[in-house]
Amino acid sequence: MKKLIFLLTIVLLGILQVTLLDHFRLFNIRPDLLLICAVIASLTFNLRTALFFSAFAGIFKDLFVGSAFCINTLLFSLWSFLIVELSRQIPLEEISLRMALMLIVTILHNLASGLLMLSLGNSISLGIFLRILLIETVLTALFFPLVSRILKPAYS
Amino acid sequence: MFNFTKKNLIILAITCVLLVVVASSIPSIRSSFVNTLKHPLSLFTFFGREFGGIIFYHRNLVQSEQLRKEVGLLKNKLNSSRELYKENLRLKEILSLRQKSPFKVIAARVIARSPESWSSTVIIDKGKHQGLRRGMAVITYLGLAGRLVETDESTSKIMLINDPSLGVSGIVQRSRQEGLVCGTLGNNLIMRYLPEESDIKVRDIVVTSGLSQIYPKGILIGTVVDIGKEFSGLSSYALIRPAVNLANIEEVLVVVP
Repeated sequence: MKKLIFLLTIVLLGILQVTLLDHFRLFNIRPDLLLICAVIASLTFNLRTALFFSAFAGIFKDLFVGSAFCINTLLFSLWSFLIVELSRQIPLEEISLRMALMLIVTILHNLASGLLMLSLGNSISLGIFLRILLIETVLTALFFPLVSRILKPAYS
Repeated sequence: MFNFTKKNLIILAITCVLLVVVASSIPSIRSSFVNTLKHPLSLFTFFGREFGGIIFYHRNLVQSEQLRKEVGLLKNKLNSSRELYKENLRLKEILSLRQKSPFKVIAARVIARSPESWSSTVIIDKGKHQGLRRGMAVITYLGLAGRLVETDESTSKIMLINDPSLGVSGIVQRSRQEGLVCGTLGNNLIMRYLPEESDIKVRDIVVTSGLSQIYPKGILIGTVVDIGKEFSGLSSYALIRPAVNLANIEEVLVVVP
């Protein structure tokens, strides 16, 4: 039942991401709620469940992005796998540590997405590249505690 | 640091295989998925719009008064333009010039936006049922907005002109200098492939050239705000402020050829 609630919360946050979150943008950039969901799932559930939720969040994002190459589905699953493995080595219970992890994951994710975009022949100026990379990273990390609180009933 | 167990690696491998299968089927499930979510998306967008209206009530009130004055002024201008238009029609008739039929448009409302910052797309509430087809140009009352890149039964996806994947053939209205207008993901567009000594100035107006069959000729793209030289030094570029506020786009008109 709790897993179903978690799944429905991902859908709800996904809808928020493509609609209402537009009002909370900074320099035209919004936090990535679906990536936060994937990280929370990886820090909460076992590997199989975490991979399932991360892939679901990635698929949801890819369905709206519309790129032929489903980069988010694959990357979300990869981050999930690495976070589960990392959480076995290091205790990641403190919120500050989790936010730092979120920061790193968002940087890596945006770096991969941006480089893929460049490799497809699209030109983006360095300023805009860095702006997206840094602002989205900070915004996503700042939204992490809020989304954690929203998702808490689904996993506590 | 990581100590990957054999079992976990097998789980990851199986997941990767499954994901490749799922990823390959995403384009086919996308339409039904977005169609299913059409009503919740519309509802959330509606609440967002109303919420924004309440929060920015005073700003909207001031803007409304300004716009009312502008409308009065523009109505006067429109009347004189109508006269000129009619005169133009009469003269063309006299000269027996072949006239192009004016294009039809279908109005649609934006119900969702791209969830990531690396692309600039929006989803609208009209699709194949309303006669929309992939590749159609999208405008607003202010100018060019983008192009339809996907159409489903009742929704469609628009790639906005500030997406780097989209290129539009543009022409400077004053000097007739042609160039390719591309998105930058930022507030401005970039007009590339301009000759080094091209006749282009700041505040020049750029419109669609009509060279491609997709965009009708003469649709306003934006105004030149800066000119510079490409890194290679062989050509110039111009930064263009789009006429349409792409960040707050709410309604669009799809051009039906």
